[in-house]
Amino acid sequence: MKFVCLNCETYMSFEKVEKPAEGSLGVFFACPSCNAKFSMVTNPGETQMVSSLGVQLGGRTAPAEPLEMTRSGLKEEVEAGKSQMAAYLNEKIHGGQPAKGSGAETPGASGQQEASTSEGCPFSAMVAQMGLTGSGSGADVPTETATALTWTPDAKERLEKLPSFVQPMVRSSVEMFARKQGYTTVTLQVMDDSKNASSGLAWSPEAEQRLENIPDFIRPMARREIERLAKERGATTVTADVMEEAKDKFMKFM
Amino acid sequence: METNLQAILKKLQYTDDAKVVEQITEQSRVVQTRMAGIRHKLVVMSGKGGVGKSMTTVNLALALARSGNRVGLLDVDLNGPCVPQMLGMRGRGLSYEKEGAVPPRGPLGVKVASMDFLLNANAPVRWKGPMDLSPVWLGLTEMNVIREFLADMVWGELDFLLADLPPGAAADKPPLLAGLIPDLAGAIVVTTPSEVAYDVVQKSIAYARELGIEVFGVVENMSQYRCPSCGAEHPLFEGDTQAMCDALALPLLGRIPFDHTFAKTFDKGNPLLDESYPTVQRFQEIGQKIQTLLNYKKVMAEKL
Repeated sequence: MKFVCLNCETYMSFEKVEKPAEGSLGVFFACPSCNAKFSMVTNPGETQMVSSLGVQLGGRTAPAEPLEMTRSGLKEEVEAGKSQMAAYLNEKIHGGQPAKGSGAETPGASGQQEASTSEGCPFSAMVAQMGLTGSGSGADVPTETATALTWTPDAKERLEKLPSFVQPMVRSSVEMFARKQGYTTVTLQVMDDSKNASSGLAWSPEAEQRLENIPDFIRPMARREIERLAKERGATTVTADVMEEAKDKFMKFM
Repeated sequence: METNLQAILKKLQYTDDAKVVEQITEQSRVVQTRMAGIRHKLVVMSGKGGVGKSMTTVNLALALARSGNRVGLLDVDLNGPCVPQMLGMRGRGLSYEKEGAVPPRGPLGVKVASMDFLLNANAPVRWKGPMDLSPVWLGLTEMNVIREFLADMVWGELDFLLADLPPGAAADKPPLLAGLIPDLAGAIVVTTPSEVAYDVVQKSIAYARELGIEVFGVVENMSQYRCPSCGAEHPLFEGDTQAMCDALALPLLGRIPFDHTFAKTFDKGNPLLDESYPTVQRFQEIGQKIQTLLNYKKVMAEKL
């Protein structure tokens, strides 16, 4: 794009770029003959288009760093995604409580240790950020743990049946739950209980039994809806009363 | 004299002289209006290519139509549209009326819109424009082509519209395309039972969820190989889709075998529609589950 001074019939020269507001660029041009000036102000979409081209208006003063645009763009994506995904994972794994810990190993889809910003597994960066520990291989017992936990053979077998990319996440989640409860051994029951605890809500046996009445393929959705209702009510446990309330709420859809 | 652009902008009243913002807003409004007569809009997606997404979409559409629903099928894979071929609708086209483009009806009355109807046989999609600079404008053009498909197609009243999205888990396509569809009910994800597929598929699920898209469940395609002679089924891969679904708190809606006989009919454009055929029945069951999922609140009221 070029701008022409119609008075002088000459191209206007690029002068500078400023950032007058978030997501906006002010690109200044002047006529070399009559010194008429104007500024083109971009909207966020136009600004993004320039950014996506990987160019700098007015030219570069220094050579681009290797993969400069990719790395800076991806970092934003990860950050943005991380906040939402981390919240989702946080809710599932920690029941809404922030995780502590630092520089944990990051489980990757391949099972190998990767940097915390690894792209191999979309969970890996968030998991590391949340301080969840994980081993390099799904089958290995982690060595860096505050309390040593043992896994029963059947619990270990159930874990190993999972796809390799979810094993570290599930292992960390289960072990964190087990430590919180003061357990030293991870059994099948502990694994089941940790799954229920991931939402931050406990379920009474009566409530669980009622949930069994829902066809299995609807159960995950039903569970989410009921937990959402329970949280709205400020409940910490899903009881038969909460179930009754949920049923009443959905009666209007009959 | 230094010019304080920020101060100047604060004094000015913005006007949309070029009417760009107005047009973009209007475009979104048109899509909303056009799709207002569609009860349930679903996308069928997968992070992975080659898992049988189009086949699944086509057969889910047929299954829903068989159940008495008015169904539309939008083939959004601009560069590899194959739905018309599968349904024996190659060579058909869109008819144009004052209100917009009318999608032709295929088997079981399913309305179909596809880029294939705008192309000559075997012709790839080619856009006018400087191809040496195509990275600059191609993606944007394609997104707006899809928007036009949504905005200019006269669907009429439908119970279901299924959109067959192109493969991919990244920001450029499927989840964002799903975002173009107003009041989207949710997404069905297709995978094959292999860890390579799981690795990519769960990324697309994660991204869809980030965008607030409800993921209804997973369909496992090519779960087994069905012998065309004796009908016996044998495993093709060694994955565990149920485990992936459990980890992601999603239902496994169904398993579809790799059925050579079945696949061949769609390849040839002579789709097998016999509802007594086992693979068709599998799709019928999945279609039933989808309908139930969409009415989950009713189910909860009845069963809780």
